[in-house]
Amino acid sequence: MKYDLIVIGSGPGGYVAAERAGEQGKKVLLIEKGELGGVCMNCGCVPSKTLLNSSKVYYYATHGEAYGVKSENVSFDLAAVIARKKKVVETLRKGVAGLMKRNKVTVVKGEAKLVSRREVCVGDEVYEGDAIMIAVGSSPAKPPIPGIDNDCVYDSTRLLDLETMPENLVVVGGGVIGCEFACFFGTLGVPVTVIEMLPEICPAVDPQIAKMLRQELTKRNITFHVGARVESIGKADVTFSVKDKKETIKASHVLVATGRTCNVNGLGLEDVKIDFDRRGIKVDDCCATNVPGVYAIGDVTGKQWLAHSATRMGEVVVHNLCGRPDHMRYDAIPGVIYTTPEVATVGLTEAQAKEQGIPVRVGKMPMAASGRFLAENEGGRGVCKVIVHAETSVLLGVHMIGGTCSEMAFGAAAMIESEMRVKEIEELVFPHPTVSELIRDTLIMTSH
Amino acid sequence: MATPIIMPRQGQSVESCILVEWLVDVGATLEEGTAIASIETDKAIFEVESPAAGTLVARFFEEGDDIPVLLTIAALGEPGEDASALKPDSAGGAEVAPEVEAAPVAAPVVAVAPVVGCGQKAVGVSPRARKAAAASGVDAQILAGSGPGGRVIERDVQAAAAGQPRLSAAARDVAAATGLAAPAQGSGLGGMVLASDLGTTSAVAAAVDAPAIPTGEPTVVPLKGIRKLIAGKMHESLATTAQLTMNMSFDATGILAYRAKVKAQGEALGLPNITINDVVAYATVQMLMVSPSLNAHFLGDKTVQYPFVNLGIATDTERGLMVPVVHGASEMSLCELSEEIKPLLADCQKGNINPDLLTGGTFTITNMGMLGIESFTPVLNIPEVAILGVGGLSLKPVMKDGEVKHVQSINLSLTVDHQVVDGAPAARFLKTLCMSLENFELTLAK
Repeated sequence: MKYDLIVIGSGPGGYVAAERAGEQGKKVLLIEKGELGGVCMNCGCVPSKTLLNSSKVYYYATHGEAYGVKSENVSFDLAAVIARKKKVVETLRKGVAGLMKRNKVTVVKGEAKLVSRREVCVGDEVYEGDAIMIAVGSSPAKPPIPGIDNDCVYDSTRLLDLETMPENLVVVGGGVIGCEFACFFGTLGVPVTVIEMLPEICPAVDPQIAKMLRQELTKRNITFHVGARVESIGKADVTFSVKDKKETIKASHVLVATGRTCNVNGLGLEDVKIDFDRRGIKVDDCCATNVPGVYAIGDVTGKQWLAHSATRMGEVVVHNLCGRPDHMRYDAIPGVIYTTPEVATVGLTEAQAKEQGIPVRVGKMPMAASGRFLAENEGGRGVCKVIVHAETSVLLGVHMIGGTCSEMAFGAAAMIESEMRVKEIEELVFPHPTVSELIRDTLIMTSH
Repeated sequence: MATPIIMPRQGQSVESCILVEWLVDVGATLEEGTAIASIETDKAIFEVESPAAGTLVARFFEEGDDIPVLLTIAALGEPGEDASALKPDSAGGAEVAPEVEAAPVAAPVVAVAPVVGCGQKAVGVSPRARKAAAASGVDAQILAGSGPGGRVIERDVQAAAAGQPRLSAAARDVAAATGLAAPAQGSGLGGMVLASDLGTTSAVAAAVDAPAIPTGEPTVVPLKGIRKLIAGKMHESLATTAQLTMNMSFDATGILAYRAKVKAQGEALGLPNITINDVVAYATVQMLMVSPSLNAHFLGDKTVQYPFVNLGIATDTERGLMVPVVHGASEMSLCELSEEIKPLLADCQKGNINPDLLTGGTFTITNMGMLGIESFTPVLNIPEVAILGVGGLSLKPVMKDGEVKHVQSINLSLTVDHQVVDGAPAARFLKTLCMSLENFELTLAK
């Protein structure tokens, strides 16, 4: 059987691409070695958000007094939370299976290996396709720390299935994943220590916002050690050093969240002469590899470690295959940290603009300037920061922390993608009262 | 006598105006100051007024005409008066003497908004077009107009607006300020042209890490003279024959020794400077005499085999490839052949070769050895059925007495017209030729 497109990996990049191509009448084969939905749906974005929401409900239940709501005997049932997570994941997975069926996508379970630029084998079966899309994602990185294989050490995938509350948790790596898990367990009252090697957590985020996130998370049983190096992991402790000063802390559980590595091994990439290294498969702006007909999207390209980037990359490939010219733009892809408060960033940071020699004006406004924010975030902090081209007034970046600002990120992305200037954004009407109005207000303030 | 009404000059930079509309008919009675026509510059619409009271006796232009300033456009006189003498001639007409007072012109009746853009000025833009342009962001000044005299009219702007790429607000401002043109397809949302796309030809291609497109004017070399002949002949050769090239190398130790000997002692014996090429040419001629099928012309319905060899020697000149022919080469000794070839080549270089010596070849040799070429595919000098390419000296490992030795060897590339010469005979010829060169002293003895 010959296919128009063979997609390897059914994560948010692969399954959406398969769906879109199937919808366009292409004959599509989707190969998945694990569960449909990939890391995002099974042990990443979706399950972690399910957990975080439970901790958020718990937080409101225990901190309702600030809003005039009192409750007693609030407890948290981790097993029930994990069970709910499984249910949510299961529902979504069934949804993906249904989507594949509806769009006549053939799904094959098993490990795929490239045989040639037109052939993929799964076990003994060889499938032929006019185009092959590699969407196999990434795995948690395993840094060379002594004791990394101890029983107390978890990666993000395993930690999502924990059924009993840890006594205390040490998180190695203060990136997005580390902060989200820290926030989850910290909110539930587990003492959490985050150890980050760099001088500030979440290095990709605007430093002011990263600092505020760290300060806000500190209010939730989380201790941060930045500029700290983990020396070793013991049976139930972690030793780290800050400027040659060593310290050992207790750790019933250790989460290693030092990043992810591309799944480039075992695919037969070498045999087909695909250009790649450990940082990923090299692709152009249309996600084409050096081998004609072979594409790579998402984490495995090492371009951006984001589900929505993978989805978009998959779409770009399908569009081009279906005769609609399309290409990737990475300038306005939102990045979100789903902690409480949330962080959302789109476009250039002040530092990046400076680095690129772009003259900018920067505007900042506290979230508390928004009535809606004030009403719903008692004692909460937040800021909206905008980066505007100094000469053309084109919006280049929006960086936010506070409340549920992730839901506002798309709006900022749309404005940046449309190369809108303050003048045009002024003419947009934002619903009132919403926190999103802050983007507009900050921009107007910046231009006057 | 009739009075001319002239196209007024609307400012120093205006060279012509469009006649938008005649406001009065021929025969109409006019007061001084009556508006008789509306005219249009690229700035505004004006009215031409009658310079005096009288009757309009002639109109010399049609509506829509683009009329140079100071030209007579109509005549004023007595009813029925013949004013044809005032009609400007069709070749643009003589300007009315400058001392003729320009017709008074009313103040502009239509003020037009300034248009963004600073492209090259068109013949003119109608006010409606200008308005449409301002509304749609099209730079009307750079459009090719379909109105009278190439004037840009509203529908040109509408067409341009419909087909133009969608520019982001920022891009529109930058385009207006810099005059940079927008590519048909931008790199933004749905092909939106972003400010950074301006001035590029295809922003999308540019985005895909395309190497910078080198600029500069190409040099155009017209095809003429000898180059034209070569082009035609080469194309005809490859288009009308079935060329097959085969290669074989021979051990050149023998002929190198022979040549060294000639060089060392030849002068005393009165021998010319015999080159490797001469040696190969001589051997070839000798072998051709016993291989008539390769010393032939193919004429479509027959081959003509020659009992003599007229040997063409391909040579590189400033004017291009030339093939002088040594007539009667088969009658010559090596010495004679060598002495015959040298002046032929020299004449080709000088460009004063007798044209008769460029025709009549039965076989051609082309030597690229001095350029370091080892082997190549010579193109047949039609209607000849074979051509020999001579490569340069190279060291070739050979097994001799149980050990590997490197010998100086030369590669020969023989192209034949497979229509009339089969591979095997061609190979046999090449093999024989190589052997005769390896044993050149025997060849000389023949």
